[in-house]
Amino acid sequence: MSQSHDERRRGFEREALPHLDAVYRVALRLSGDPAQAEDLAQETMLKAFRSWHQYQQGTNARAWLLTILRHTFINAYRQKKNRPASVDLSEIEEFTVFHDVQDTDPEGTFFDQIIDDEVLRAIDSLPDEFRETVVLSDVESLSYAEIAEVTGVPVGTVKSRLYRGRQILQRQLYEYAVEMGYLRRSAT
Amino acid sequence: MNDQPTPVNCQEAADRLYEYLDGELTPEIELAVRAHIAKCAPCFKRFDFEETFLRFLAARIRSQGAPPELKRRILESLFSDSDLPERE
Ligand SMILES: [Zn+2]
Repeated sequence: MSQSHDERRRGFEREALPHLDAVYRVALRLSGDPAQAEDLAQETMLKAFRSWHQYQQGTNARAWLLTILRHTFINAYRQKKNRPASVDLSEIEEFTVFHDVQDTDPEGTFFDQIIDDEVLRAIDSLPDEFRETVVLSDVESLSYAEIAEVTGVPVGTVKSRLYRGRQILQRQLYEYAVEMGYLRRSAT
Repeated sequence: MNDQPTPVNCQEAADRLYEYLDGELTPEIELAVRAHIAKCAPCFKRFDFEETFLRFLAARIRSQGAPPELKRRILESLFSDSDLPERE
């Protein structure tokens, strides 16, 4: 059954466009660049509009859009940027940040002193697979099942990426807080 | 029926840390983890710390939205887009 252009546009405006903020935010964290994020978001919305007939009304429009965004990003942008994975992954398995702060600041009050830009910088420095998982969960509050759908991996993989990604992020923010003197490094 | 959840130990609670905080557990396991952290001070502190961290993250990064100019541009491109479905 074919829809008129107007009908299609109305449906799209009603169901897809409200998720533009989410698409833009995720695009920004995937690309790390506002101009690129705008291009990515626009390309995503246009692609989504053109394949709107494939979208099942009433299903998860946000997850559908974010899946398109992710493919667009991987195909067009991922090769162009070179973001070094600067994090030593082996280090985080040993001790959690909580282990370091349990005697000095177990309630994590040092987090409050960290500025927003530093939080975003830390997220942006995560290796790709951890960054996208953390962003979908902590920026967009997607469920594990939705993240699995968008990133094309099993829920178990989502869980482990989320755990490691959050721990890496915590570690970076902790190191930053120590460096800034918000917290003294624990002796343990 | 037995209302007591099957008890979990510290390791089992820790393994479900984020699933618990993200609300991803089944009601039975959630209950068991909650019962454990209620009576285990070290686990309670860890869960509390991680919950603080997640709340902090959410507060700092969720606010940003798409620039109004981008929204306008997208609406315009939809208006002018041809009616043909995309060909793969
Ligand atoms: Zn315990």
